[in-house]
Amino acid sequence: MTKRLLMIDDDPDFVAGIKSILDSAGEFEVDVAYNPKDGLKALQTREYDLLLLDIMMGRGAEGVMIARKLRKDPKLREMPVLIITGMREQIAFLFPGEPIHPRFVEVDELVEKPVEPKLLLEKVKSLIKTAEARKVNP
Amino acid sequence: MKEYAYYPGCSLEKMAVSYHLSAVETTGKLGIKLKELEDWSCCGATAYSGIDELLSHTLSARNLAIAEKTGLDFVAPCSACYKNMYFTAVHMRKDADLAEHINFALEEDNLHFSGNVTVRHLIEVYVNEVGLEEIKSKVTRPLEGVRVAPYYGCQIMRPRKDHEDVEQPQFFEELLAAIGAMPINYPLKMRCCGGSLIISSRTAALSMVRNLLQSAVDGQADVIATTCPMCQVNLECYQQQVNQEFGTNFSVPVLYFTQLIGLAFGITPKKLGMGKEFVALAPSLLAAGKANPAHSKP
Amino acid sequence: MTETITFRQEVLNLLHASEGNPINFCIQCGTCSGTCPVAGFMDHSPRQIIAMINAGMKEEVMNSNTFWYCASCYHCTVRCPQEINITGLMYAMKRYSIWKGKYKEGLIGPTFSEAFVKMIVRTGRSFEPVLAPSYIFSFNMRGFLQEVQNATELMLKGRLPLLPARIKRLEKFRSVIGRIIPMGGLE
Repeated sequence: MTKRLLMIDDDPDFVAGIKSILDSAGEFEVDVAYNPKDGLKALQTREYDLLLLDIMMGRGAEGVMIARKLRKDPKLREMPVLIITGMREQIAFLFPGEPIHPRFVEVDELVEKPVEPKLLLEKVKSLIKTAEARKVNP
Repeated sequence: MKEYAYYPGCSLEKMAVSYHLSAVETTGKLGIKLKELEDWSCCGATAYSGIDELLSHTLSARNLAIAEKTGLDFVAPCSACYKNMYFTAVHMRKDADLAEHINFALEEDNLHFSGNVTVRHLIEVYVNEVGLEEIKSKVTRPLEGVRVAPYYGCQIMRPRKDHEDVEQPQFFEELLAAIGAMPINYPLKMRCCGGSLIISSRTAALSMVRNLLQSAVDGQADVIATTCPMCQVNLECYQQQVNQEFGTNFSVPVLYFTQLIGLAFGITPKKLGMGKEFVALAPSLLAAGKANPAHSKP
Repeated sequence: MTETITFRQEVLNLLHASEGNPINFCIQCGTCSGTCPVAGFMDHSPRQIIAMINAGMKEEVMNSNTFWYCASCYHCTVRCPQEINITGLMYAMKRYSIWKGKYKEGLIGPTFSEAFVKMIVRTGRSFEPVLAPSYIFSFNMRGFLQEVQNATELMLKGRLPLLPARIKRLEKFRSVIGRIIPMGGLE
């Protein structure tokens, strides 16, 4: 069965690349929101199997705001979130050599841009699978 | 004695220490205590927003949260600090998601900002809180005949907060008149001095400084009065560079409005941090003929 | 849902939470450019840069010095008859170009901003001498000498700090930052 994914990312070129990788697998239907506001609206209106989430958007690290909001929402709390971020490139001068640690956000996985297509597909599939297993057998 | 949560900002520690000294001295005479905010941190000037606006609001909010604990009104002498704090408070009051997220971060320092702080610029304390009549009553050496260019600069007035007049405000002129000085009218009083560009776009900034100095000199100003450490440093310390770049010959003293008030209150120049200027106020203005005790009210 | 987006939309997305009207409200009246004290030094005036964003000229816009020359004086913003937050737009463009690592060569603004913010997340307060190396070597000889002369005079007048200020609860301060920017600070 086709899985429905939402991607929230402000970079149209990156979105196009990721979309073509996901489309090539033939198992996903991907919606895109290019800013946090539209992203949250989409999450309220449709059901998704997985969220692909960028961090640096709009005013700053708004991806963190979205992830935190999601985890507090009873309806969306269980939704798997895969953060795809280029933070290290974008603002790494602030904390050179230090790791990215969204632990307090409770996201499921984090991968850094640029993303290896094979790895992306693996992560997406396994996150969806784990989430489904959790649903059946909480 | 009324107290304020006083946020000096980084510049006032050294670069603009005379602003700090004169603020403390003059408010003291007016029965006001500036209580320095405990463990305050930088407001971010103009740099944070150019990298991360959420970070910028968070660092301002840290100071607002510390002020909120004291229950006092927040007051900043630097226009850039004031603008940042004022608008962070506005945004956090309006945007519940933003406030929630920032307070989540502030938890790490056991702080919380609920929006209940009035943010003021130092000049407001004199003009609106104390009032001109009260100030007049404390003047012992009116600055008679001293032609002062009131320089508002940018960030005390802009962006607009309510429906106030941001094109031709008059409160600075009125304050100067209250201490006996003669405020001059010159067209560039609301123009930017280029403070935030002096490093990054030097040629542009120096030309902005030149235009401002020229405008004040054309209005025959004896001294320019500022409300912001960035403006003061830019207009004063870069005069020599302007002269070298443009072949001009400017030599205009640039003082903080609080120093002028202090002189009018009869406070000794030293206590007002005077003597640290690049361009000193003409002794004739300090003493005989103009701001002379002989001219003071009986 | 939109398949792809225009450059204008890309810029609008940076401002999704901002007040003021979106830039497609711009009527090209030129009040901003006429007001801007720095317009004469910009590659493209504020009015032009808005028109270029609306026209989708991404490369030219990202390579322009315009937003890095914005002094943040808000004069355009208070006068814009369409109530567009033009200064906010300039800040957003600065952010975007830093995040993308894409800006016109030779600009001091981006490196200076980075050095400034880096200093704050380390000490909590500004300390001017730490910043000097981030820009002083980009100046020409005359500028360099003038800057040194200025610093010397400030020092003689007791207006330059010799030791960096530090806030007391620095560790906690950095943890606060770590919750906003999930890098460093918490490990």
